[in-house]
Amino acid sequence: MKAIEARALTRRFGAFTAVADVDLVVETGEIVGVLGANGAGKTTLMRMILGLLHPSAGRVRLFGLPPSRETRRRIGYVPQGLGLYRDLSAAENLSFSAAAFGVAAALPPPGTGTGALGHLPLGQQRAVAFAAALQHHPDLLVLDEPTSGVAPLARARLWDRIREQAGAGAAVLVTTHYMDEARQADRLVLMAAGRVVGRGQEADIVGAARAVVVRTPDWSGAFAACEAAGLAATLAGTEVRLPGADLEAVRRALGASGVPAELSSAPATLEEAMVLAAGR
Amino acid sequence: MQAMVRKEFRQLRRDRRTLALMIVVPLLLLVVFGYVARFDVKEIPTALLGTQAEALAGMLPEPFAVTIVDPEGSRETAEDLLRRSRVIIAVIAEAPPTLLVDGSELFATQSARAAVAGLGGLPTGAVDVEVLFNPELSTAAIMVPALIGMVLTAVGTVITSLGVVRERQEGTLEQLAVMPLRPRDVIVGKIAPYFLVGIVDMAVITAAGLLLFDVPFRGSWPVFIAGSILFLLAVLGMGVLISTLSQTQGEAIQLAIMTMLPQVMLSGMIFPLTSMPWGVRWISYLLPLTYFIQIVRGVFLKATPIDALGIPFLALAALALVVLGLAVLRFRRDLAPAGHRREPSPEPEAAT
Repeated sequence: MKAIEARALTRRFGAFTAVADVDLVVETGEIVGVLGANGAGKTTLMRMILGLLHPSAGRVRLFGLPPSRETRRRIGYVPQGLGLYRDLSAAENLSFSAAAFGVAAALPPPGTGTGALGHLPLGQQRAVAFAAALQHHPDLLVLDEPTSGVAPLARARLWDRIREQAGAGAAVLVTTHYMDEARQADRLVLMAAGRVVGRGQEADIVGAARAVVVRTPDWSGAFAACEAAGLAATLAGTEVRLPGADLEAVRRALGASGVPAELSSAPATLEEAMVLAAGR
Repeated sequence: MQAMVRKEFRQLRRDRRTLALMIVVPLLLLVVFGYVARFDVKEIPTALLGTQAEALAGMLPEPFAVTIVDPEGSRETAEDLLRRSRVIIAVIAEAPPTLLVDGSELFATQSARAAVAGLGGLPTGAVDVEVLFNPELSTAAIMVPALIGMVLTAVGTVITSLGVVRERQEGTLEQLAVMPLRPRDVIVGKIAPYFLVGIVDMAVITAAGLLLFDVPFRGSWPVFIAGSILFLLAVLGMGVLISTLSQTQGEAIQLAIMTMLPQVMLSGMIFPLTSMPWGVRWISYLLPLTYFIQIVRGVFLKATPIDALGIPFLALAALALVVLGLAVLRFRRDLAPAGHRREPSPEPEAAT
């Protein structure tokens, strides 16, 4: 069953188009990651799906219905800012959220205590936000960069919980610009400048994109030479990588600067594919 | 330093609300209050009663404005008219004539006394002037009931004006919008605790006013409580409406202050409504404090019965309904935007 079905979704703010002609389907039991740099249109897309923003064109259906008070009963949402009351305790936040959905409140995560939530570490605050979003057993979970700023162990635990939900049949939509989060999804949708520029698994997103890899003892010289030649370079350890660059152009730039280097071509990483998509 | 000054001017130019508060509002206030800030009462509604009433009708000079002539009327009729605020002066036109004055209208009373003293050809004591309800013309008796309304307006409007805007600033409003809550649930939920605190506040300041300033309470407690409840709903609703119109807590406080000043100046708390020109007076009739003052002064000092307070009660109920209705409508844009097609400004880069 389609938990989310968005067709030709478009949102304009005056002359600026934040989201253009986006199609997106999320089936129950599936985790879909919407990946893109800041400004790609991820949050605007998510806000339209949640019914927080009216589309300028196109339509959204949640469980076959337009977003409404009834569909909201079936949604669990964890915004990037968590959406919790920082001056209330974890238990009080959970109690309010449970009452709004008409269910019994879940127990607060261990260690969250009775003090104000704002005094807890970010990881624990996120755990409370997840507990609040999950306590009414939503059929659709919408997560905006759900594990940013969370320590690795706590992040792994949060992803376990997300997988549990998907395993139990919930549809999960995750928007993120973190590759680690994106890789947890069953399927990815890559956005750039408000449009969908890639779909599928990580390999599908990367597709034929490649990067020139420069190995050299003088990596700083190589980096400077590439930059001087107008070639966008990144450092990965002591290697210099140039996603989407022409091998011969890199060779000429390094030769002109007299930097000794060994060049090769390698498949682009997901990050590089995203950067290339954003630059198109 | 130059750079700092330039930067401040640029920010100020873009902050239209502050600019309005600093330039337009003072000008507006000066013009409006210039017409209002006067204690001299040009027209005093007057009733003439008794056998000589008709004969006297055309003889009274300014500021007496005869609105009721009743040859059958007695002293009881006169007191009832004053208690119901139908008139401020009631003349019992018998020999010797008695002039009953509503002492809760301080400035009208003084103008009436001065007018009587200035009547030519009358021997001293020829007219018996009797001040009812506030015979000592105590300022505290007039101001304390009105101050109860003033304090509640300040506390109620300012505090509730921060309610919704705080949710917006802290990002919890978005979470409310994805919960299955109706806008009216949220508004009622927001107002209810402040309403209860407001009731307690009202009880405390009323008790303090009665005990500390020796203000009489001659009317009915149920009438006072009913009026207070309607008034609280109106001022709290105004606070929530301001909150829905503001993006930050600073903006909300600015707006709340902008609504406070006219209430102080135009509600009749300080300057009598009867001395205001109609070009300004109509604003007074849009303010909840105007009606609350009519109710509390009536109940405290004159034991005005509820059937004589129909207009202020109805006006307060209508104002409460309008501000709360507008607040709910405004709130729908935040909580159920799917029904509201509008073109907001672009979202911040980090939010996309």
